[in-house]
Amino acid sequence: MMPLAPLVATVFDSIPGVVYGLPLVLAAAVVFAATHHEDSAAIRRATLEWVGWLGGILGGVLVAVWLVSWLA
Amino acid sequence: MLGKQEPIASGRVVAISPDDGSTIDLKSPALAAFLSWLVPGLGQIVQGRRFKGLLFMAALVPTFLAGMWLGDGRVVYASWKPGDKRWAFICQAGIGAAAIPAMIQSWRLEGPAKQPAFLNTFMAPPLSRGQPVSQAYAAALVKTDPDIDADDFRPLPPWQQFRPSPPPGMLDRRPADQVSIWHKRLGRFFEIGTLYTMLAGMLNVLVVYDAWSGPMHPTPRDEKDKQP
Repeated sequence: MMPLAPLVATVFDSIPGVVYGLPLVLAAAVVFAATHHEDSAAIRRATLEWVGWLGGILGGVLVAVWLVSWLA
Repeated sequence: MLGKQEPIASGRVVAISPDDGSTIDLKSPALAAFLSWLVPGLGQIVQGRRFKGLLFMAALVPTFLAGMWLGDGRVVYASWKPGDKRWAFICQAGIGAAAIPAMIQSWRLEGPAKQPAFLNTFMAPPLSRGQPVSQAYAAALVKTDPDIDADDFRPLPPWQQFRPSPPPGMLDRRPADQVSIWHKRLGRFFEIGTLYTMLAGMLNVLVVYDAWSGPMHPTPRDEKDKQP
């Protein structure tokens, strides 16, 4: 079985979107959450929800692209 | 989803918090919206919504600066020349003050002076093949850009012409324009830097809306869905 660290490094190297996409997901989640709430606790909670949604969508697309390129 | 905004008896405009139904004094919404366009979150800070203002600032200013850094300072420029229409700048302009130098640089370079306002090439649009520029700007490019040397310019008094078309029968293997040089040098980082700066600008449009109208509320259908 492939050790975890080289596997993660391989994924990051072959899909730069993972590395460079995460800060964008976080920034977008913060802005989306803060434009829908006023209370700081609600903003924190909503940020986590948005990170889950946006990260899941981006992750799903990246995994699909990776799989397609791997199969091609 | 729309912000709920109501004028109150004193003439001030307030929004309703979607969390606890309390009122939010938007003070001068137009001024706050303009300030938030100029600097992300500044309008909210002026409205007294400091936490949100600083949060927006902390999220968007570093994103824009990170994009500029990844793109070696080349990815934010305004250009409407045939063959190099920089549509990304429409999104980048949403960040406000940080994108204003690009407009000034483009306006000056395309104008009669044929040189940007700041000769250090900061946010200056790329040169296209055969574009005439001032002597001073040509000298500045030769001095500061490692990919451009004196041979890249041909005298065209009173200007200097950038990489003019080669004579018939001659082949010029160099990139035809400056944006091609940047793509060759930066590779994927040109696109990644462009994406960061575009996203920062687009997200700031939401921040401007928040300063103008307060937080967005769920639509009635969303509220209905939440009911047991």
